[in-house]
Amino acid sequence: MSEWVFYFISLCACIFAVLAVTQRDIFHCALWLAMTLLSVAGIYFYLDAAFLGVVQILVYVGGVITLFVFAIKLTAHIGYKSIRQTSKQWAISLFITMLLLSILFRVFAQNPWASIALEHSSTSVAQIGKSLMTGYALPFEFMSVILLAAMVGAIVIGKVKK
Amino acid sequence: MMTMVLKGLSALGFIAVSAMFLIWLERKVSAWIQNRLGPMMTGFQGTLQPIADTIKLLLKEDIVPKGVDFLSWWLAPFFVTVPVVMAFLVIPFSSKWIVLDLNVGVLYICSVTSLCVLGIFMAGWGSNNKYSLLGGMRSAAQIISYEVPLLLSVLLVVMQAGTLSMQGIIHAQAHGWFILKPQLALAFLIYFISATAEVNRVPFDIPEAESELVAGYHTEYSGMKFAMFFVAEYTNMFIISAIAATLFLGGWQGPWLPGVVWFLIKAYGLIFVLMWMRWTLPRVRMDQMMSFAWKVLTPIALLNLLVGGWFMLK
Repeated sequence: MSEWVFYFISLCACIFAVLAVTQRDIFHCALWLAMTLLSVAGIYFYLDAAFLGVVQILVYVGGVITLFVFAIKLTAHIGYKSIRQTSKQWAISLFITMLLLSILFRVFAQNPWASIALEHSSTSVAQIGKSLMTGYALPFEFMSVILLAAMVGAIVIGKVKK
Repeated sequence: MMTMVLKGLSALGFIAVSAMFLIWLERKVSAWIQNRLGPMMTGFQGTLQPIADTIKLLLKEDIVPKGVDFLSWWLAPFFVTVPVVMAFLVIPFSSKWIVLDLNVGVLYICSVTSLCVLGIFMAGWGSNNKYSLLGGMRSAAQIISYEVPLLLSVLLVVMQAGTLSMQGIIHAQAHGWFILKPQLALAFLIYFISATAEVNRVPFDIPEAESELVAGYHTEYSGMKFAMFFVAEYTNMFIISAIAATLFLGGWQGPWLPGVVWFLIKAYGLIFVLMWMRWTLPRVRMDQMMSFAWKVLTPIALLNLLVGGWFMLK
């Protein structure tokens, strides 16, 4: 019974993802993307990775999508138009995508999937914090420098020139 | 599995009853503060008024204005209501009465309630009405701004308790509530102010300022959709008070009475304070509110975090 929950959430995620890239109204695209990310968070919760799910919602839906929506609404000339989701080369790209997909399918089909029984794997927040402050301290600090640079950049771009 | 479903259903029942009670309470409190009687006709002291209102809202026509953005219009009430219901997953009513004690409980509540912004914005945009759009914009800006000091003040509690689980935080307060510690008392004040702004209550009710914006983002909604916004608003009020009771006032801990009673007394006491504020204080202006969030509350919260953390290290 329990794995049907997983299939249901995955199906939802796929449908919403397709809607997110096919809808013409860009505001709707953002909303469907939010639904997709929420479904992914649902999968995390189902797999007993509550921390990951919470961060997924907090960062992606609560932060990034809200920012998207704000950006769409504040730039009035794209908020009202219905935009084509495909370029002129959609036929070629479809062909290449299908080729890639078939290769991936063959690899998946040939690979003998070993099922590894995980011992209780729900990582605690304390463990994540510890590894961020010890083993992964450099990448972590590097990320914050990048974020700071992005913030300064945004302020410089957004500054009204006198 | 079965007990989980039962627990979830009782949480749903609690939400409906609590919202109805709170709507009655708000009308009564406002009436008493303004030297009126409030609802008196249906039942003793008008206690049956919310039930009459619910029936009225159920029977009302669902008006869809011309030119609404259909998807956001339909989805918005759900986007506002569902996170509120989800938040009930980790609210500890007593030592046993909690649907699921997640080990990231506090973070979970903060993340699901952050979904409400999207719903409010969708309602404002989808209604195709300038008042709604203004209300939605204001509300989103306000909620995002006040989330910063709110999270910073919650962080201090987490640092003190050493855990993110709601029950764990209550257990950490066995020898004294967190509000009694000086650095956490300030955190409580910051939390309460930002939470008031988060749920769009006076003095921060500019998203639905009646005198200028009709009713803000839910101006165009009627019938059950309007009721969903209403329920979400009042349940949000309960949630922020319940979190405040859990994080700062010792949750369900207290002498003599059972835990549930203590928890509800604390939560509804804080809700009463919120109502008291609403009918006493005037509304602030948009620019005052934003500059207060970014220039006053956030620096104080950061400083509080720094000083409080330093005291904890000693």
